Amino acid sequence: MTFRDLIATATGNLWRMKLRSVLTFSGIVIAIAAFVAMLSFGAGMQRNIAEQFEKLGLLSVIQVYPKNTQETDSSTVAELNNAALEYIEKIPGVELVYPFESLDLGIKLGDSEKTVSAQALPSKAVETKLFSNLVAGELFSADSSREILISEDILEKLGIKSADSILNKPVIISIKLAKIDSGVVSMLRPLSDIIQTRRREMQSDTIRFVEYAQNAIREELGGALNRFIDGFMKNRETKAETLLVCGVFNSRRNGRLRLKDLILPVETAREFSSSGFTGDPTEILAGLQAGNLFVANTDSPIKDYSQATVMMEPNALYEPIRDSIEAAGFRTFSFAEQFKEIRQFFRYFNLALGLIGIIALMTASLGIINTMIMSITERRREIGIWMSLGADMNDIRRLFLVESGLIGLIGAIGGVIFGYLISRVGSLVAKTFMENEGVPPMEIFHIPIWLVLTALLFGVLVSLLAGYYPANRAAKIDPVVSLRNE
Amino acid sequence: MNKPWLYTDNVCRFYQRKTAVVKAVDSVSLSIECGDFISLIGSSGSGKSTMLNLLAGLDRPTSGDIFFEDKSFSNMDRQQLSSYRANKVGMVFQAFNLVPHLTALMNVELALYFNGTPKSKRQFLSEQMLSQLGIADRSDHRPADLSGGEQQRVAIARALVKSPDILFADEPTGNLDEKNTNDIMALLSELNKQGLTIIMVTHDLTLANNVSNKIMQMHYGQIVDQERKPNDLS
Repeated sequence: MTFRDLIATATGNLWRMKLRSVLTFSGIVIAIAAFVAMLSFGAGMQRNIAEQFEKLGLLSVIQVYPKNTQETDSSTVAELNNAALEYIEKIPGVELVYPFESLDLGIKLGDSEKTVSAQALPSKAVETKLFSNLVAGELFSADSSREILISEDILEKLGIKSADSILNKPVIISIKLAKIDSGVVSMLRPLSDIIQTRRREMQSDTIRFVEYAQNAIREELGGALNRFIDGFMKNRETKAETLLVCGVFNSRRNGRLRLKDLILPVETAREFSSSGFTGDPTEILAGLQAGNLFVANTDSPIKDYSQATVMMEPNALYEPIRDSIEAAGFRTFSFAEQFKEIRQFFRYFNLALGLIGIIALMTASLGIINTMIMSITERRREIGIWMSLGADMNDIRRLFLVESGLIGLIGAIGGVIFGYLISRVGSLVAKTFMENEGVPPMEIFHIPIWLVLTALLFGVLVSLLAGYYPANRAAKIDPVVSLRNE
Repeated sequence: MNKPWLYTDNVCRFYQRKTAVVKAVDSVSLSIECGDFISLIGSSGSGKSTMLNLLAGLDRPTSGDIFFEDKSFSNMDRQQLSSYRANKVGMVFQAFNLVPHLTALMNVELALYFNGTPKSKRQFLSEQMLSQLGIADRSDHRPADLSGGEQQRVAIARALVKSPDILFADEPTGNLDEKNTNDIMALLSELNKQGLTIIMVTHDLTLANNVSNKIMQMHYGQIVDQERKPNDLS
């Protein structure tokens, strides 16, 4: 008996018992639909995260941080300075390294003025996928170009509604810098008045006392230092430049990668920062430690950074790069590592969801066993007739396996369609909910082809397993007994 | 021509019924020649149908052996025995044993599923067979819509469509009226004259005498008279 004959006969038998077949299919349909809907949720979430990572190019990014003293066994802590960045850049597979350099700047557009946090980035860094979807405009072309990128948030704060309207418009960028001159002026300006006051207060005999003299000098020097610091910190000079807005970006989309509201080309940013101290306490401390507080803030090789970003070459493996960086004494954070953990989580998550689906499928398979056994009981005579006509045990076994397999296949196809419908309804409800909550709507269900194929395979496989016992039972029917009984 | 074609050697078929052993067929040795029309007669429970099932390869003997064209049944596996049934044997039953949900034509076609007849030929051969048996106009009818005689003709068509070497008929007229009985027996007789070997189980001696060239009488599982010649055999 050919397979085609088996299919035709099995289809005819299932068609003849429509109600029973439909009820049995229904069990499989519901189980497969549950399987598909649940796994499509897991697949959808996984896809969203993967797309986000991919879109932003995060999988090729490693963040590098200096270790703190608690994290290292050695007495010296590796410093994340330009020398370290040069070392990292030479590691095979590293395409680009840039430090996280931030500074507070004023931005003035027309009558609106705001103080914003800005970041200096090399043009190569902004050419990465991080900025692949600018809201408007384009990237700056060179590290020294007189252009800036600004975030949508700043536009809102400046009261600008259309991102396009600000493109190629000049904005005044300013920075307040502390200078040694203002500190000295502040220290010396009140000096003559102070000397006269002190003279009046002092009595000739008291000055002879050494302790009194020491206290007086200490007090005066302390006052002078306070006045210097007041002048150094408060009377800062403003340095302003006019730059053009070349592009607008959406900073919220960049996830954990820190992006400030204003991005300047790295050379242009140095024009601002190299003229003095901005007043950042960490910068002053670093300056004191380095011994260059009172010299211009040039591109000193001993400047330490709190963070650096490493962009890997396409297809470069992150593990060796990460290991090399960590071997140099730094702490790393890799999005690829994080993504690996996320994928691992989703593997278990999908497994748990799939297990629930399989339990439902096992329950439905009991329906198949029941249907097939009932069918065999009713068709004992027919089986006897088949055998008298020359069918062997394998023909009978195959017929019943094909029937149960068909139940599984049709049920699985129905289940995939039903599961798809459930995912569509679920998606619609979720999107409506997200919109109401002000969250950008996203597709939380995804039915990849592997899920469809797995569902079909599971449906057929479980049905075949369920049909195996009844099929064997049918094959063992004694034709003499079945024909005689009738 | 008249060499032993199908024969048995001390064939036994015993059944265990609780503690008792039922000897349905007990040490039967018989020989059948090509072209014979043999009637197996005997009272109910004498082992006729069991003997028929053994010869048709539908059942296996407890001991002894059956030979067809010098091939031993005991050396055949299940598939070979199925192939023997599919290619060499046609069977007709008292209860017709048609598949109730198939039409007459489909019932006849069913016999060609197991002997490798291509699908394209099945319908043609089945229609031709139904036509030869005079029931072509009933080919689209289901068994429930046919009379007893018509059902048995469909069953005979099903048995003959694969051009078997032997036709086994188990009380083929047991459920038929006199007219249909005569028609069916005339048909079987005609088929035998055309060269078909027929082994028929019946308890009607007159019927057996009318059509058979050899009658074997069974009693308690044994052949008690094997060579009785029918009176009116021409």
